[in-house]
Amino acid sequence: MTTETQVHVSLVVNGTRREVDVPARRLLSDVLRHDLGLTGTHVGCEHGVCGACTVLVDGAPMRSCLLFAVSVDGAEVTTIEGCCAADGSLGPVQAAFRDCHALQCGFCTPGFVTTVTAYLRENRAPTEAEAREAISGNLCRCTGYQNIVAAVLKSAEATVSEPANGDPA
Amino acid sequence: MSTRMFGERITRTEDQRLVSGNGRYLDDLGHDALEAALVRSPHAHARIVDIDVTDALEVDGLVAIYTYEDLDGRMAEPLPLLIPHPSLTHGRTQYALAREEVNHVGEAVAMVVARNRYLAEDAAQRIRVEYAPLPAVVGIESARTADHLVHEDVPGNVAAVMVQQTGDADAAIDSAPHVLELELEIERSASTPLEGKGVLARWDDDDKSLLVHTSTQTATSVRQAIAAKLGLPVDRVEVVTPDVGGGFGVKIVHPWPEEVLVPWAACRLQQPVKWTEDRREHFVSSAHERGQLHHVRVGYDDDGRLLGLSVRFWHDNGAYVPYGLIVPIITSTQLLGPYKPAVYRVEFSSLYTNTVMVTPYRGAGRPQGCFVMERTMDAIAAERGLDRTVVRERNFILPAEMPYDQGLVFQDGRQLLYDSGDYPATLAKLKKLVGWDEFEAFRAQAAEDGRRVGIGLACYVEGTGVGPYEGGHVRVETDGSVVVSTGLTSQGQGHATMLAQIVADELGVPFDRIRVTTGDTRRFKYAVGTFASRTAVMSGSAVALTARKVRDKALRIASTALEAAVEDLEIVDGRVQVAGAPEAGIDLGTVAVLSNPLRYAFDEAAGAATQFATPADPNTPPVEAGEAPGLEAVDFYSPTRSTFANGMHAVVVETDPDTAEVRILRYCVVHDCGTLVNPMIVEGQIHGGVAQGVGGALYERLVYDEHGQLLNASFMDFLMPYASEVPTIEIDHLVTPSPLNPLGVKGAGEAGVIPGSAAIAAAIEDAEQVTIRRMPISPSELFDLRRKRT
Amino acid sequence: MNITGTTTLTADRATVWKALNDPAVLVATIPGCRRLEAVGDDTYRMTVSAGVGSVQGVYDGEVRLSDHEEPSSFRMHAQGSGAPGTIGADVSVRLEDHPDRGTVLSYDADAIVGGMIGGVGQRMLTGASKKMAEEFFRNVDAVLLAGTSPVAGEAQPDVPGAPQPAPAVAPGTVFTAPAAARRAGPGFATGVAVGAAAALLGALVGGWIAGRRR
Repeated sequence: MTTETQVHVSLVVNGTRREVDVPARRLLSDVLRHDLGLTGTHVGCEHGVCGACTVLVDGAPMRSCLLFAVSVDGAEVTTIEGCCAADGSLGPVQAAFRDCHALQCGFCTPGFVTTVTAYLRENRAPTEAEAREAISGNLCRCTGYQNIVAAVLKSAEATVSEPANGDPA
Repeated sequence: MSTRMFGERITRTEDQRLVSGNGRYLDDLGHDALEAALVRSPHAHARIVDIDVTDALEVDGLVAIYTYEDLDGRMAEPLPLLIPHPSLTHGRTQYALAREEVNHVGEAVAMVVARNRYLAEDAAQRIRVEYAPLPAVVGIESARTADHLVHEDVPGNVAAVMVQQTGDADAAIDSAPHVLELELEIERSASTPLEGKGVLARWDDDDKSLLVHTSTQTATSVRQAIAAKLGLPVDRVEVVTPDVGGGFGVKIVHPWPEEVLVPWAACRLQQPVKWTEDRREHFVSSAHERGQLHHVRVGYDDDGRLLGLSVRFWHDNGAYVPYGLIVPIITSTQLLGPYKPAVYRVEFSSLYTNTVMVTPYRGAGRPQGCFVMERTMDAIAAERGLDRTVVRERNFILPAEMPYDQGLVFQDGRQLLYDSGDYPATLAKLKKLVGWDEFEAFRAQAAEDGRRVGIGLACYVEGTGVGPYEGGHVRVETDGSVVVSTGLTSQGQGHATMLAQIVADELGVPFDRIRVTTGDTRRFKYAVGTFASRTAVMSGSAVALTARKVRDKALRIASTALEAAVEDLEIVDGRVQVAGAPEAGIDLGTVAVLSNPLRYAFDEAAGAATQFATPADPNTPPVEAGEAPGLEAVDFYSPTRSTFANGMHAVVVETDPDTAEVRILRYCVVHDCGTLVNPMIVEGQIHGGVAQGVGGALYERLVYDEHGQLLNASFMDFLMPYASEVPTIEIDHLVTPSPLNPLGVKGAGEAGVIPGSAAIAAAIEDAEQVTIRRMPISPSELFDLRRKRT
Repeated sequence: MNITGTTTLTADRATVWKALNDPAVLVATIPGCRRLEAVGDDTYRMTVSAGVGSVQGVYDGEVRLSDHEEPSSFRMHAQGSGAPGTIGADVSVRLEDHPDRGTVLSYDADAIVGGMIGGVGQRMLTGASKKMAEEFFRNVDAVLLAGTSPVAGEAQPDVPGAPQPAPAVAPGTVFTAPAAARRAGPGFATGVAVGAAAALLGALVGGWIAGRRR
């Protein structure tokens, strides 16, 4: 009879310490979604191409579908839920997506928001071409990207302070 | 102060929850459910010899393993053939689990249920299925030749042959001064929404009822299908559509095997069961589209006017045809676009192959038809030495000729009758937008810089708002909020926002007091579904009509309460008032209270409606004959036929002289979908459609080898465009309102993708002076065409 | 459902036949069997813990041995129920001398499975049953090998819990499985299948999904 050994994993997710015991092969995306109940991170392909599962691990955008949860033990993880403002209202990137109609079905959106959040820390005033390039690693099937580019530029204008909720400075 | 909502770029009500990670997609639900995994055929064509589950039994957490023999009652019958047609003489659909034979790689053979998906897959991997492989039929050519058959009882692999004609096209062509023949091909592609399919089912044994969540485009029809297959009364089954991460047509097919297997298992196991597909499963077990081969004969005069058009094509429908002949029928009819050939004949054969089945993908056969017609028009222009827009203009149906009967039967079984549209005006706008007349100067300038550029255009007409009907329900609650329901579903098109805009205007209530539900059979039971660009037309009209009924009732009730004539009343910001005298008015919430005479007051406001509070006429019944309690109404919209939108795209490309890479410099769209409810949403639909059109023109092809193995069943190898591949899209609108519905709207959902391949092919041809008859085209294919030309 | 099978045991036919009809052997070898209580001639009440797949549970039933033709064949009839499943089984067992040494045992079982356990799928049920049967026969073989013959007046074996010789069983006699045997063998700890043959003796499809743990 096959049974799996559980491994203890400790993470800080969106500013809160979370502890879980999971099999070594459990993906970070599944831990976030099913063990921690943070279903905002979505899984579109499970082979690291579409980017819908992108979360920030110690500030860097990573494909949570390609990470075993055990391999990020001790890390600080930011998901789409952590990109809201401290009072629970929309963060600047999220608000820009809404204002620019940069989402339709919303499935790819969490991956874009985390990616853009990390990007704007590196480049606070991108040109349109730079904005387009920055999002060219995430797939969207609905929007044709045009409004997402606009949202990146709008977020850049709006981002005056860091998003809250445990984002590493 | 009330603002008109209709026609405004209102930000969407859906976005608050979606951008903050609070969407509820299928896999977000059912954390307590058991999970299923499917064992799927690795062979394109094989007999099943044995299924050995012994090793799977070792897996901790295994709950059940099902094969065909476990299926009982109607579950053991093939899945329904959704759209029968007299020409579909040899329709075949699959069994929920393969019975004795598998007909494509990915066909479901066994279902495992376990504590979670990881364990279910562990068990599934250990199940050993013994197959006796059979020869696979792959591609139109081998289907036609029919050395081997997909289904033993389908001669020649022909599911259907269908002909429509308006006269003797061959004679007209034979007697025409000029004749051209073309062979054109479009390769297979697929919808590939970012979220795959998923089903969650819960059987309540106390209530003897079944609740199913599924990522579908038609909750009402899935409900009927599940009830039928499981032998349950329909009113004991409810289907709820969660947030859906895109559909683009693939989720209109129903019931998927899993859509009946999961509920069936949930009933048997008396535990909730969930299944969400992974990406590879979507590639090999959902549905594809686009693969067709066309042979065109066209006769025309010296001016390029079409005297006769004869199209013969072969449609690859994959291993099964649950969706009938809709895609090739749409190709046959929409191929005509905005033109009026004197005589037209179209014949198609729909062929079986040992590949994934073919059902609509955004455009649903129109992109193929548009490609064929537009390449033909370009070929005529080239042969005649005419400007490509001039040839088109000479063949346009003119506004004065509307309504125009093309003399064919459309995909809804009704006349192909264009109701409105101004094609010359659309073209004029497009030429202006892209700078058609100035292009040669641009080309010369570019040539001086060593750059190779080209321009192309393509026109389409799209029949939208297919019936039979859609409905709406609107209710004003006693607190003044408004609840709206419609039966069709949403996959990201902003339906809730769009419908709220309509109700806000029709009923005179604040936009933010309106709550819209779509795709929940508990709230609305009669619907068809979301497909064929029909929501604004069908649900939009239905909801508008419904809101009008509610408004009329509100005014009637208010006129009694205010002792004013109905004609003197208006509803502004949720308040019924005498026009111009807001102080003499009552809130709609109060009207709702009054509309429902009560015995018991459940809150203070309700007290006003109880028998001793209201001065009612003691000689008339509290609820008059023909009336119903409550400030609510239901209404339906059922048009006689579709309404026809149209558009034209122009593309400027640059090709690299060395690498033959194609870069799109400009992409211009002129789009006519009648009245716009929310221009921002419409433009978003166009953007998304254009991106898929670019994908279909340059990147997306599904490749099967001769054994029926899908070689690129992942996002790594099936190339969908990223932001770097999609150009900035310039849009201009024309509005020719539809005369067929109360709002004057036409559908917009699919338009963006329809002319993509045609326009881009035309532009590349123009840049390179090669002949392109096959799409998509890759740089290496362009390179080869260059070599052949020299 | 119907399952059949054949297996080879090391001991000779007469020994095997006696062992299979000896409740002290059965309680030690039926996977998951906890308790066997004689209630009459060749009739026993049985308590077994077992399951199918991820399930485990305890079930109670009755098994009756009949049609004895020593040492070549007999029949077992079993009825059992647990939450929420029931089974009735009819098993015929034939023993033949193996050409070299030992016994060839073949069984043919017809079972009717009712209740929710019927919901796990035929192949899983039959597959699990066969595994259970194979385990049972291995256990019998091991027990017979470990000690000298347990029946008909032979010397006491050293193995704890090994069956004691007894020509007849008085009603009310209770046999409990030794602690080791009660655990139904390695790999079956979390419950394996409803058995065939002897396990179908009261093959009692056990408990249902143990809670809703993920």
